Amino acid sequence: MILSDLLGSDALEADGRRVGGVVDVRLEISGAPAQLLAETVVTGVLVSPRSRVSTWGYERRGENGPVVIARLQRWLHRGSFLVSWDDVELVDEGRVVFRDGYERHDPMLPPAPKT
Amino acid sequence: MNDESAQRMPRPDPRAPRGRVLDAHLHLLDRQVLDRDGTPVTTIDDLELDGIELGARIEPGSPAPSVAAILTGPQLLMRIFGGHAPAARRISIPWKLVASVGTTVRLGVGADSLDASWVERWVSRHIIGRIPGGRHDPE
Repeated sequence: MILSDLLGSDALEADGRRVGGVVDVRLEISGAPAQLLAETVVTGVLVSPRSRVSTWGYERRGENGPVVIARLQRWLHRGSFLVSWDDVELVDEGRVVFRDGYERHDPMLPPAPKT
Repeated sequence: MNDESAQRMPRPDPRAPRGRVLDAHLHLLDRQVLDRDGTPVTTIDDLELDGIELGARIEPGSPAPSVAAILTGPQLLMRIFGGHAPAARRISIPWKLVASVGTTVRLGVGADSLDASWVERWVSRHIIGRIPGGRHDPE
């Protein structure tokens, strides 16, 4: 499957109620070790109730500048949440369906490693 | 607080990350791909994910999907305008060749070994190479 097929899809609860759009897919470099980099696995999907696109990710990072854009983006994506991949029941064309009783998690990214 | 409103309040993810966490769109799409010598190869236009079957119910406890390849070339137009390029027309770089992910994505191989750089190799050999002085560095 192609990533862009998933981005912008409708995020639906098990009863068919739309809760937002899939704006991103969370990955973790934590799978089986490989020669260069460990396998990169999908751990969740990020859902924004009011938009299908999130370009700069202010709603999931601690960045505050430029302040006007940061505030506007946080307001646009207020109520965004992360759903663990374990709570995804079905992926179909243009829709992602969550399991009954799925949990909404804080979408904030952990701090980036210091280089 | 009733059960329904408790579910709507995002909670901290209880699962501690076991490795570097990335958001595919935010951290990977449109990033530059460099080969092992730092030579630019392409940009990430899309990603191929393994382990997601359209329309099939995902059984609880199934293995998580993984990133299989970086897609480039005509894939950017598909991302913007929609549609799909046939699998044979996709230019892909297997994810297993990726050595590190940062501001750019570094590969562990040279650009010459990749299909993604064939246009540049062709132009270099057949056009630039035919221009007098085009086969050596400026003196």
